[in-house]
Amino acid sequence: MRRKEKEYLKYIAPAMVTMIVLSVVPTIFLTIISFTNYQLGWDFSKTEFVGVKNFVRLFSGADRDFWHSVFISLAFMVLATAIELVLGFLIGLCLNSSEFKLKPLVIGIMIIPLVITPSIAAQMWKLMLNSEYGIVNHFLNTLFGFKITWLSEKMAFWSILMVDVWQYTPFVTLIVYAGLRSVPDEPYESAAIDGATKLQELFYITIPMIKKLVYLTLLFRVIDCLKLFDIAYVLTQGGPGTATEFLSLHIFRMANAQNGLIGRAAAIALVLLVLTTCISKVLIKKMRKEEAV
Amino acid sequence: MSRKGKRRIISAVRGIFLLLVCLACLIPFVWMIMVSFRNRVDILDPSKIFVAPTLKNYQAIIEESNILDFFKNSLVIAVVSTLISLVVGSFAAYGFARYNWKTREDRAFWVLSQKFLPPMAVVIPYFMMASMAGLLDTKLVLIICYTTFNIPFTIWMMRGFIEDMPIELEEAGWVDGCSRFTGIVKILLPLITPGLVATSIFCVINSWNEFVFANFLTSIQAKTIPTSVMMYLSVSGVKWGEMAATGVLAVLPVLIFAIIVQKHMIRGLTFGSVKG
Repeated sequence: MRRKEKEYLKYIAPAMVTMIVLSVVPTIFLTIISFTNYQLGWDFSKTEFVGVKNFVRLFSGADRDFWHSVFISLAFMVLATAIELVLGFLIGLCLNSSEFKLKPLVIGIMIIPLVITPSIAAQMWKLMLNSEYGIVNHFLNTLFGFKITWLSEKMAFWSILMVDVWQYTPFVTLIVYAGLRSVPDEPYESAAIDGATKLQELFYITIPMIKKLVYLTLLFRVIDCLKLFDIAYVLTQGGPGTATEFLSLHIFRMANAQNGLIGRAAAIALVLLVLTTCISKVLIKKMRKEEAV
Repeated sequence: MSRKGKRRIISAVRGIFLLLVCLACLIPFVWMIMVSFRNRVDILDPSKIFVAPTLKNYQAIIEESNILDFFKNSLVIAVVSTLISLVVGSFAAYGFARYNWKTREDRAFWVLSQKFLPPMAVVIPYFMMASMAGLLDTKLVLIICYTTFNIPFTIWMMRGFIEDMPIELEEAGWVDGCSRFTGIVKILLPLITPGLVATSIFCVINSWNEFVFANFLTSIQAKTIPTSVMMYLSVSGVKWGEMAATGVLAVLPVLIFAIIVQKHMIRGLTFGSVKG
């Protein structure tokens, strides 16, 4: 009997072991590096343990760029997720509210931004947003008579936000739309008898019914925004200056061949890891609770 | 205003809104295709939308750069990583789908949480371990990295597909004297083949589009397509035409794949956690 109880291990063990080796071991290694002063190309004999010095530097406020990165990463996370969720929800509601022949085509078109290689899409946007010969400014100029320097210090953050919204709003739409289709008609019928307004229907019937999906979308978007790298790297490489240096880009700048401050970069990477782990833990817990109900 | 008139206005507004959304989704993609057929001068002058097309850009990337090698790298890495993940992940998926134990859901969600591991956080230790093992700039290191997200993805996807199949079919096989393993191979496998195909296509797309690991761990030999578009930033300005042509060639297979798996798109996008 005992042998039979543990039979599932035979199936899941190879995958579990692989995942532990590929994710837990690097994490431990990362933690060790973050307590050293290791630099790119150094011999390990030269490397010393510096204790929590790397972290003290981060949290004492001596590293201004770090806090700037944390701030814009969190700001980006909140703004992008909020805009994508609201806009995606709106499009999903529109799609669900009526039946028309071209609907599969509309959904097909919305899948395009989602599957396009992000770094290539970002390159295309970089050309389109070019202040001199970009097509966006060309249209703005002919239609409204002004131009915007999209990738300037003031606007770069918003440009990246715009590209992210372009690429991932369809993600929210597809999930919300699938959720809406599975909601039964009866609650709406009785609500209509009770004289509920459309807005009341939305907040008291629709959203509670697809709450689990909303948490799930939130989870995916929040974490993806927080670890955003490719779009920002292609569009601005963190610049101008450090204007769009999100946490991932800050880690990259610290660790790349020019700086090579691997020890310090590892400390920042650990902060990013802890941040994403905490947020995903909380949201997964919320989602699972929803499932149990 | 009559009720009918009001409803008509609402549906017109809705139609225009959806049309604008579609245009917004399409324009960058369409513009990329158009730029890829434009001459250098025309790219720098957007006032003429339609110009005489040229194949120069495609000719240039195929003849002058080693872009075909990068395509080959992308393909080999995506396919090998997908195959490994498919075998290892599907067996685990079977375990999760067909056995019940106390900590099963906790384990499953631990698997899911692997998706939320930021690549930028683990790429530093990967870089150091790869450099110690002499694996930097090889296809192998990217194959290993990509299995980190392909295995959990396969587990969640395939678990759903297996759970969709009634266990009675296998049980009938056991009664006839099949072992559990032959049951999987002979009875379950043919049934879940469409699921396996969909899962592998998503794995290939995810690997094909990956940027952070590729950017950090490869430079010349094992360069893949997503990072190769950075090459076109030269001192004399950006070679937009060549870049767009590469982009078109890189995105086309992904789009074809996406059409094939459209039915499973939601499941694929949500890591298998929503059965859409």
